[in-house]
Amino acid sequence: MDVDSLHTLVTGAIWRAEQLEDRGAESAAVAWKEVSLIEEELANALAVSEPEGRIARRGAVGAALSAGDYARAEALVQRYTSEEGTPRALRSELRKMLDEDARILEARFRYAAKHHRVTAARGLARQLQEGGAFGLAAA
Amino acid sequence: MLLDLAQLQEMHPKLPGDVALLLVTRAGLGLQRNGHRPGVGVSLDLDRVPSRGSLAWPDADMAKLEQHDRDRVTEDGAEAVALAAVHRARGWRVVRRLQRRHHADWLLEQEQPGEERRLRAALEVSGVGRGGVATRLREKLAQVANSPDVDERWAGVVGFEEPEVALHSTGGGRGR
Repeated sequence: MDVDSLHTLVTGAIWRAEQLEDRGAESAAVAWKEVSLIEEELANALAVSEPEGRIARRGAVGAALSAGDYARAEALVQRYTSEEGTPRALRSELRKMLDEDARILEARFRYAAKHHRVTAARGLARQLQEGGAFGLAAA
Repeated sequence: MLLDLAQLQEMHPKLPGDVALLLVTRAGLGLQRNGHRPGVGVSLDLDRVPSRGSLAWPDADMAKLEQHDRDRVTEDGAEAVALAAVHRARGWRVVRRLQRRHHADWLLEQEQPGEERRLRAALEVSGVGRGGVATRLREKLAQVANSPDVDERWAGVVGFEEPEVALHSTGGGRGR
């Protein structure tokens, strides 16, 4: 698919996700996942040296966070920050997006955050997702 | 200047058809619920240059107003009017919608005659159901000033009570 078509698609997808989010619909998370996938496709098609390429990289990570898919957001940040030619400012911005999301989570679950670090909890969640209960127990 | 919202899709070919239709429908509902009819006069403030124009749209079916969220009618209607104005005034076209964390709603582009390079702009839009647009415009200009990866940053605020459109660039009258 060409870049123009992907831009049209991502516009429609963001539009739907925003409308669902404004109404408090649970399906907003699914809609943001779709946005993240299209943004990722745009990021694959556009070099990081192009403004639209940087916008797509931020968009892929941001939409993954809006979808509540931290593991995907983290994987995308790792990929985009290790790309050759990525400006230092963009690297720092992408990492800040993850930090900001962790801060929001800590504010939401204040009691839990007093006893556990968000990064540690997310690490456990990832191990559970990847290896199941026994994989987590064996870790 | 005539802002004919029926031509929104032609002005912005990359805007999805269903999105364009919904924006224009909500603009019509927002204007008609304030007692306006297609062809109404509109006050324009295009980067600090005041003028008058007229605003046209396909007649909206007011029986369907209740099917739409009240705030979305104002906000989405404002998007239709601002996108029409920014195209008519400066020839900007939509590239794509931006996510909220980009501090703007739209990424726009403008061909440069005789040059391969395109100019890019971020546009943040808001609608005001009652009263003037000045305060909201200041807020939106401050917001869009943070938008990265663009050559120009614009804010557009549309008032529905007495139709008005204010489109300012952060360059302060130099956003051409």
